[in-house]
Amino acid sequence: MPLLELEALDVCYGDLQVIWALSLAVERGTIACLLGPNGSGKSTIMNSITGLVRPRAGAIRFQGERIDRLPTYEIIERGIAHVLERRRVFPFMSVLDNLLLGSFPPRGKAKRSDQLARVFALFPVLAQRQAQLAGTLSGGEQQMLAIGRGLMARPTLLLVDEPFLGLAPVVIRELLDIFARLNREEGMTILLVEQNVEMALGMSHRGFVLESGRLVIQGPAREVLESVELRQVFLGRP
Amino acid sequence: MSLALLAQATANGLSLAGLYALVSVGLTLVFGVMRILNFAHGEFVMLGAYASFWLFTLWGLDPLASLAVVLVLMTGLGALIQTTLVKRVLAAPHLNQILLTFGIAVTFQNLALLLWTGDLRAIKVWYSASSLTLGPVSLSLGRTFGIGLAMILTGLLYLLLFRTEYGRALRAVAQDPEAALVMGIPIQRVYILAMAIGAAYAGAAGVVASVSMFTYPLIGFLFGLKAFCVVILGGLGSVFGATVASLILGLVESFVGTFFAQGSSWAEAISFVILLLVLLLRPKGLFGVE
Ligand SMILES: Nc1ncnc2c1ncn2[C@@H]1O[C@H](COP(=O)(O)OP(=O)(O)OP(=O)(O)O)[C@@H](O)[C@H]1O
Ligand SMILES: [Mg+2]
Repeated sequence: MPLLELEALDVCYGDLQVIWALSLAVERGTIACLLGPNGSGKSTIMNSITGLVRPRAGAIRFQGERIDRLPTYEIIERGIAHVLERRRVFPFMSVLDNLLLGSFPPRGKAKRSDQLARVFALFPVLAQRQAQLAGTLSGGEQQMLAIGRGLMARPTLLLVDEPFLGLAPVVIRELLDIFARLNREEGMTILLVEQNVEMALGMSHRGFVLESGRLVIQGPAREVLESVELRQVFLGRP
Repeated sequence: MSLALLAQATANGLSLAGLYALVSVGLTLVFGVMRILNFAHGEFVMLGAYASFWLFTLWGLDPLASLAVVLVLMTGLGALIQTTLVKRVLAAPHLNQILLTFGIAVTFQNLALLLWTGDLRAIKVWYSASSLTLGPVSLSLGRTFGIGLAMILTGLLYLLLFRTEYGRALRAVAQDPEAALVMGIPIQRVYILAMAIGAAYAGAAGVVASVSMFTYPLIGFLFGLKAFCVVILGGLGSVFGATVASLILGLVESFVGTFFAQGSSWAEAISFVILLLVLLLRPKGLFGVE
């Protein structure tokens, strides 16, 4: 049984349908990436998983159970963390307050100090800046905070929406290493949205490619990377 | 001007400021988390004042004791209004939100008029006559209690906001509701909490007002209007801003009333002048962030 399963999902904004009959599955313990041009619906899919957007039709299953009707806080409590596009830290709160908010759900609160130590071990810079307002951090530090905050709830599945956007290459390498460690050391399942196709497929086991709200390619990352269709999606059809 | 008069004006100003703070912290909190201007907020003050009046008149309950009752009742009323009415318009256009809360206000005003008539009501408790004299300053005990109460309740609100899980959640929702949602914060509960606090604090202000002022069905309008001034001056959504703005308006009104010829008739207008000046220089208010 896959950890996460989307089945025949239709998602609309008002009358405008942006996701069409989308099905995909993410296996436990793997890293998967969701690729696609701007506006193809990647964030919409992520937002449907955590209930920020409600699908019009279809089903979303996590650990075998339907979650598409649950309120967001229950979805989070079941073990999904969502690192939103553009980081979205709470700018007027301290780094520590941001992290503590990540452990608002009971599953995080129960192990708060352990988890805080773990996050500080992964991102030592956050430990140094605990008292600083999150809005004053650099872009890279804010992304680390956003990821660290997500980890505070001890998720089984980590959703990350475009974490590398606008970051310096050193920071990107650091984050790539963190994702690999989380997956390797804790067996964390990660679903990642990314624009940089080669980097994303390079770090993933499996790739999914969206075009205009439809899933057009899926498979093992290496196969997706080498497929002819991939070039067609990103360079436009001949 | 004499020092005694200065001290007296300060004391009166503080008592006014306490009242303003009790009314406006809730209004700004509700706006901060829900982005809704609650035009019925002043009516919570009116209901609190009537509750205090009737509890005293019918059962001889001291307003200080009524306060506990009012806090509980108004918390419940705030939660009820949130879950049955306001919840439905959170995603609606602003006009619908305004119409709803304005409708609630008018309903409460007319209900009060119908049930309790338009008579001016006042209560005489032992401490409204006696006063506390400190050197040259003399402040009625009722007002002294009012100041103390405002300080305690405002302090408690800051403790809630900055020392508890739900307080942190409230601040998070005010800054970014969507990010707060994916933190696993039950946002509807946070909304209920904000509205309940707003109603309870405004109700407490009503109890304080019932001791030193007349109670009648339209006092909610006056308190609501003043609270809007305070909240806009302090910066929409900022509890700290509302606290500071209450102090400024309370003190300024008292000083103008004390030191200018026919000052008391100017005192009201001066609030609006300050508000306009601040908005010209700083459109988001003193401590607003948007
Ligand atoms: N709140 C919204 N209301 C209406 N339309 C929306 C909304 N959010 C997204 N859309 C539309 O839905 C489509 C998919 O958007 P989405 O943000 O999911 O794309 P994306 O693949 O994440 O794009 P990007 O790479 O730019 O982040 C786009 O056409 C977008 O304009
Ligand atoms: Mg996106």
